[in-house]
Amino acid sequence: MRKAKDYLAKILIYLSSFITVGVLLAIIAYIFINGIGLINWSFFTNEYNDKTYYLQFEANKLQLSDNSYKDNIPYTRNVINNDSEPLYIEELGGAIIESKKGSDIEFIISYVEKSSSMLEAKDRRGEIVGIKEGYIIRSINGENIEDKNLEEISNIVGDIQGNIELKVTNPGNGVFTNIITTLYMILLSLSIATPIGILAAIYLVEYARPGKLVSTIRFATESLAGIPSIIYGLFGMAFFVVFLKFSLSLLAGALTISIILLPVIIRSTEEALKAVPDSYREASYGLGATKLQTISKIIIPSAMPGILVAVILSIGRIIGESAALLLTAGTVSKIPENLFSSGGTLTVQAYYVAKEEANIEMACAIGIVVILLIIILNLIAKLISKIFNKANY
Amino acid sequence: MVDNNKFYIKDLNLYYDTLRALKDVNLQIKSNKVTAFIGPSGCGKSTLIRCLNRMNDLIEGVKINGLVAIDNTDIYGDIDVITLRTKVGMVFQKPNPFPMSCYDNIAYGPRCQGVKSKTDIDAIVEKSLKQAALWDEVKDRLNKSALGLSGGQQQRLCIARAIAMEPEVILMDEPTSALDPIATAKIEELIENLKKSYTIVIVTHSMQQAARISDNTAFFLSGEIIESDTTSNIFTNPINKKTEDYITGRFG
Repeated sequence: MRKAKDYLAKILIYLSSFITVGVLLAIIAYIFINGIGLINWSFFTNEYNDKTYYLQFEANKLQLSDNSYKDNIPYTRNVINNDSEPLYIEELGGAIIESKKGSDIEFIISYVEKSSSMLEAKDRRGEIVGIKEGYIIRSINGENIEDKNLEEISNIVGDIQGNIELKVTNPGNGVFTNIITTLYMILLSLSIATPIGILAAIYLVEYARPGKLVSTIRFATESLAGIPSIIYGLFGMAFFVVFLKFSLSLLAGALTISIILLPVIIRSTEEALKAVPDSYREASYGLGATKLQTISKIIIPSAMPGILVAVILSIGRIIGESAALLLTAGTVSKIPENLFSSGGTLTVQAYYVAKEEANIEMACAIGIVVILLIIILNLIAKLISKIFNKANY
Repeated sequence: MVDNNKFYIKDLNLYYDTLRALKDVNLQIKSNKVTAFIGPSGCGKSTLIRCLNRMNDLIEGVKINGLVAIDNTDIYGDIDVITLRTKVGMVFQKPNPFPMSCYDNIAYGPRCQGVKSKTDIDAIVEKSLKQAALWDEVKDRLNKSALGLSGGQQQRLCIARAIAMEPEVILMDEPTSALDPIATAKIEELIENLKKSYTIVIVTHSMQQAARISDNTAFFLSGEIIESDTTSNIFTNPINKKTEDYITGRFG
């Protein structure tokens, strides 16, 4: 009987751990399988939205500078199937390929000479935009090219006197803007939350006399750490976005995130400070150092690894945050111009494409990027604590 | 008071919250002598030595009344605690070098006092290490971490760190209790040399150590000083029965 119980317990334990690991692996596998098809270099460099321009430039008469280009064409777009051989056109100073995507045919610029005037192509207002590799050609001097082939295009371009105007599309489906927004968000919220959090932790550990006030502050930080981020998001929306009139913006998002980060940073910094042996403090005071000198020269340097780990884990928190940012920073896929412009981070974008556009593939691709980033950050955090634990100082 | 007293302690009482750890302590500590505090654990010797540079200030809930004077100045009234601690250096039970290089450890105190010039600090570091009989052992590894030194070396580094402040008094709270006999012997030899220039107060658990190195001895029991006299008198001719019992090993 006792043996049977033992056996049963064992089965339950094994089962539970297998379920946990299995579910985790299944999720990650699902995301990878769904998203990996989109991951390539242009995924990181393209913006999310397609952009179409009419761009003019002076016709070139450029020889191909590197004849081996046929073996080594710098594609910037993921063209896997049914691509034609590239055709170099001297008037363009670049090469085009014909790419079949399903039943659609697209003409894509696959190569641009360094001195080609395409790089200085101007839009109709005279602003330099430039035509780069990966751009899709839609029309040439108003002439539709959908039913043409490469040879015919070459002839059309060859016949043009003076300026050439191409209607080109800068393909989207990338997360470049979201990466930039995420970076901004990290920088901004860390620069708000880290100093305040560290100073607050120093106050709690080194200055505050244990008593009602400190235990209240500690209770507050612990409770704050447990509140779901959507609540912070609602607060941020009511206070920063509406009341302070920041509107959906980087600043409102970063301030909200900072409030979310504060308890995390305070708690871990407190732990790091408490871990500094009292003998260091005694030795420092014993040498006639002031409190400030002791804290800045001895205690903070000794607690630095712990503080750094807290900061790195906070970065992970910022990358992973979506609910609060959705309500405070918005979902716009554009590189924010200033503190008051809206911008969606990677996770917000994942939510947006999954929910609004039912584009699960794209959401999963973003998921891969986020998962990898978090893993890398965790590894860095581990590495730092390892290095500092091993090192003598 | 015209005498050679460094410290003058009168009717000193110390409370940890409600616990009375020192009871009406009266003691004079002579300049340029080694004074040893002996007694069983928890008898208040460490508490008293930590009164002398106000280290007890760091502990929550400590109340002190009575007089502790250094060179006839009340250390709890007339002197700034930072100044006091530069005059009264301290070496602790466990070697506690900072997690920095040997050089930075010694330079820490002077730098905190505002010494900036590299040549001045170099000179202080060399002089202190030589005085602490550590120079030859560490001169080639000054810029390596102090935590890589042996326990005995670390403790001598801590002594050197205290010396670097050019104090008048060095307090040592069981400085050899964490060390092996050879390291202990080195420290004792060092104390012997240091007493020419410094007043030394040492707390020790080892009566042999007190007998070997100290000039005066105070015997503590449950927060009171039972007897204080020259070391030879205490060890050969104690007046109090309790002192005799402790010294002959009947308790403690």
